[in-house]
Amino acid sequence: MIKKFIHQFASPKTYLFQVNKLYSYILYSSIFIYALSITWGLLFVPEDFVQGNSFRIIYLHVPASFLSQSLYAAMAIASVTYLVWRVKLAAYLIIAIAPIGAMVTFIALSSGSIWGIPTWGTWWQWDARITSTLILFIMYLGLISLHNSFSNYEKADKLLSWLVIVGFVNIPIIKKSVDWWSTLHQSASITLTNKPSIDPSMLYPLIGSTIGFFGLIICLVIISSKVQIIKRENTKSWIKDYV
Amino acid sequence: MKSLKLEFLKLKKKTRSWLGPILVFWLIMIAYPLTVELLPENLEVGFFSVLWIATLISMMLATEDIFLEDFNDGTLEQTIIKTTSFSSLVSTKVFIYWVLIGIPISILSFIFSFGTTENFDTSLMIFPLSIISSYIFLNLFVLGNALSLNKGSVLGALVTIPLALPVLVVLGKGVVAIQFNINFSGFIFLLLGCLSIIIVAVPLVVSYIIKAHLE
Repeated sequence: MIKKFIHQFASPKTYLFQVNKLYSYILYSSIFIYALSITWGLLFVPEDFVQGNSFRIIYLHVPASFLSQSLYAAMAIASVTYLVWRVKLAAYLIIAIAPIGAMVTFIALSSGSIWGIPTWGTWWQWDARITSTLILFIMYLGLISLHNSFSNYEKADKLLSWLVIVGFVNIPIIKKSVDWWSTLHQSASITLTNKPSIDPSMLYPLIGSTIGFFGLIICLVIISSKVQIIKRENTKSWIKDYV
Repeated sequence: MKSLKLEFLKLKKKTRSWLGPILVFWLIMIAYPLTVELLPENLEVGFFSVLWIATLISMMLATEDIFLEDFNDGTLEQTIIKTTSFSSLVSTKVFIYWVLIGIPISILSFIFSFGTTENFDTSLMIFPLSIISSYIFLNLFVLGNALSLNKGSVLGALVTIPLALPVLVVLGKGVVAIQFNINFSGFIFLLLGCLSIIIVAVPLVVSYIIKAHLE
């Protein structure tokens, strides 16, 4: 049954009609959750003892950083799916995610840079976490330029998928960079194994803002993937009815 | 063995392809002292950074046309049709490039290092770092060039340099370990570990990429 569902959902046509139904629910709930969490985080959470009010950028920086890596991981899964099972939708998703991933990584880098001024006294530091995130940003740009340089979409999809898989090596490096190198960037405050080192009054709006931001990015991915499907499947009769 | 000899002769005949990167490396290392005041301590400060960047650029240039000629004259298509493993051909090519370009550059690295630092032990330890890193860089740039086979080497470099940057970080830390005499062998093993993965994975991935180009 699951296999049947996956195969049905993997069809661009089914995907397009299914996500259309889900889109507004995801969008409105994400806006609500993010707005609520941001308001909570900016207005009601107490000031940090060391960093003062500057820590409040955490409600943008952490979700963006989390998403920058998660989106790449999603691209890697889609790449494997495309290369192994030849699922066309997976190829559309890879190129749909890449510019959004670049944008989110840019938000993570720039918000971190703004946060760096009051906290570290510098906009930029060639620190392992920051540098590896910059590498991720360049990787995203490289992926986009590689795909755009081929007019044959099928060939571009295959090459892009291989590069995404090879580039995935950067993700564990980013994740573990704060442990492997002595960095200015702090180590993770929230892990799966240990109790969070962040105060609960700051933690709950952070979780909320991460979920809300995640939902908003999902909406962007849906829009971007719809554009890809319309562009690539434009010869099909059903797409004419859809448009 | 036959393909090894064939690839060696092919590269040896293309003098520009193997001599060019070595000369570029040489010129960068000669140009470096001209950009700083000629005091030995000033030269030493940035020397190793320039050395690794020069190695990176030379390896990038070395692989510029590694598949292009074979792609244009149909050799790649013939090889894929034949039963011989395509990934072993890629491994052979990379190995020959490393022998003719990577090893001479590593020897030059040792000479320039000794000339600048006047420390034989340090320079001797730079040699294995250089020899392993040149092989890693070659493999990475081969991957980039396979991806951008007939689209120019700039695109290949753009998509591959981010993958080479962690190696540069390790090389920088390796030099610090040499200078402070702390666990230098750890970095050698780390690079060898990376190389052992790359040496297996890259030819395999490159063979799939080239097949995608030829389909």
